[in-house]
Amino acid sequence: MTKAVRDRPRGTALARRVTGHVVRGLVMIWVVATISFVIIREIPGDPVQGMYESLLQKGMSPDQAERATAVLYGFLPTGSLWDQYVGYMWSLLHFDLGRSLSTPGVAVTSLIGSAARWTVLPVLAGTLLSFLLGVIMGVYAAIKRSGKLGDLLALSGSLLHGIPVYVIGLLLTAIFTTLWPILPSGGPVDVAFVPGLNAGYIGSLIHHAVLPVVTYTLASYGGWILAMKSNVVAVLGDDFILAAELRGLKRGIVFRYLARNAILPLFTILALSIGMLFGGSIFIEEIFNYPGLGLLLVNSISTRDYALMGGTFLVITVGIVVANIVADLLYTAIDPRVRSGEAA
Amino acid sequence: MTRDSAAPEVRIRDLTVVYKTPAGELPAVSGVSLTLNPGTITGVVGESGSGKSTLALSLLNAVQPPGRIAAGSVEIDGLGDVLHLGGEDLRRTRGRKVGYVFQAAQSSLNPLKTIGKQLLDLGRSHDVDDLRALVADAKALLARMGLDGARVLDSHQHELSGGMRQRVGIMLALVLNAQVVVLDEPTTALDMITQATILRIIREVHEERALTTLVITHDVGAVAEVADDLAVMYGGRVVEHGPITEVLGTPRHPYTQGLIRAIPRLSGDISLARALPGRPPTLGTLPVAGCVFRERCDKRMEICETVEPETVTHDGRTVACHAVGRPAPVKRREYA
Repeated sequence: MTKAVRDRPRGTALARRVTGHVVRGLVMIWVVATISFVIIREIPGDPVQGMYESLLQKGMSPDQAERATAVLYGFLPTGSLWDQYVGYMWSLLHFDLGRSLSTPGVAVTSLIGSAARWTVLPVLAGTLLSFLLGVIMGVYAAIKRSGKLGDLLALSGSLLHGIPVYVIGLLLTAIFTTLWPILPSGGPVDVAFVPGLNAGYIGSLIHHAVLPVVTYTLASYGGWILAMKSNVVAVLGDDFILAAELRGLKRGIVFRYLARNAILPLFTILALSIGMLFGGSIFIEEIFNYPGLGLLLVNSISTRDYALMGGTFLVITVGIVVANIVADLLYTAIDPRVRSGEAA
Repeated sequence: MTRDSAAPEVRIRDLTVVYKTPAGELPAVSGVSLTLNPGTITGVVGESGSGKSTLALSLLNAVQPPGRIAAGSVEIDGLGDVLHLGGEDLRRTRGRKVGYVFQAAQSSLNPLKTIGKQLLDLGRSHDVDDLRALVADAKALLARMGLDGARVLDSHQHELSGGMRQRVGIMLALVLNAQVVVLDEPTTALDMITQATILRIIREVHEERALTTLVITHDVGAVAEVADDLAVMYGGRVVEHGPITEVLGTPRHPYTQGLIRAIPRLSGDISLARALPGRPPTLGTLPVAGCVFRERCDKRMEICETVEPETVTHDGRTVACHAVGRPAPVKRREYA
């Protein structure tokens, strides 16, 4: 009976929590969309107006120019700011982000969609790989912290954490494409292969992904190992670990107690960095000429493609907001202290 | 439940534990010999830093680095010298043969697992075949201590109060039928009522299960309620040891006398309670030669400067003091 009584409020609390998160997330996305709309409208040298005027100068009638601009941006360039805003929000609700300027006529959503393919998988692989590696090495570095190997591991973490990602990328490029040319220097895939589920194409994909993934892994590994090491050292000092040893628990069980408690805070960071991966990694994509979201953002800025810029920002925002929600729910699932509503 | 009721005797002999510090290895426990009579509760009192927790950990050969057991032996009937155990043998001894109730029992539980799951971890670690029986034993023990066993086993640590956690700690130390139980500050940080309850439980379970129990505390009042014997520690030495009524009634060592004088009376003038002069020694300020207590002692003699007093046993009591041996100074009999 006690169980049922305690479970019911727990269930509603979870539902309330999820609803609260979703509502807050939507508000956040709306705020970012509004800001990017206002910026694009109010920026000096208004690109929408500029477009409209250049079309007029090309001899279009005001009507035609207005329609052409509307097609490009997804909202009316004339009318009151409020009308335009409503129009913009309306198309947003239909997942329409307007059309790109730099690749005229192409929907921003499809540009982002194709770029996302090249970002999400490599960055996801890099993030998970570096997380796994960093966590395992971090535990090891913490346990062996008074020995040479522990020092060495911690040092490797600090060092890699301190080296900028583009330096790592350039070094790896120099080593593996010039000194010892076993890997391709750029691009996502060899154009010689027919896209599809054939061994050659997939092999080429993997071959090309090695350097970006390794670079990303090395660049974020330092942070993971340092964070995990300090968490493990902190938990090692907790009374319940000594208590578990004094109760004669098996080493494996004590280790699980240790690892689970130490890894807990890292899950939040992991969820957030997976959210960030929608922003791509600008440096890595630049260096390896990988047509991902980072490169798309850079290109949209350099060509003043405001529709694309706004769209990319919005996708990054959505990624981060969703990741935040996932992180919080994940924490709820794995930390009983949060689950029952007590601050951890 | 029937158990073989022969409670084991615990013999600590010449135990020395040193801590590695920048100033070299300093002794936290030096040359302590102490016998825990089978079936008794022995209290150990002393100020912070007197080495009592280190002594308690030694019973499980669990002195934590930078500490190290430098010499001595801890013999437990049926186990031999615990200090010679290592690896799996030592692990199996801990929990199964020697139960340990942790100093900060408030935080001695894994925050991420329910008490029940941690109980199962304990059972699996010690190869308990019948885990159902283990759970039933645990529930019975918890009920014995006034808790709803089923509810407690289903809870996480943060859902329990301090007193409940302390009882869970005691349950985990007893559930595998350990016959030697070490309680390190079992009532610190608990309110007076909970303290009294815990002490009563300790006494009852001790008698029911025929245990040999060691209770570490800095609270003379608490230990007086449960212990049969009392050992007083100062500067890493046991300066006095004997039946508790005698040690508290006619304290012989000047430190014990001072300790008792420092307790304020419920009835009477609080100004009658006199704190010991000076500060408790730390590892670094401990005198190298002579009596460790002489700086704060009102019976200081010349010999105290150079010669460490030997522990002398007569009529069942052990005292390490140069001033004792003459007629015991029994000044304040009213405290008996």
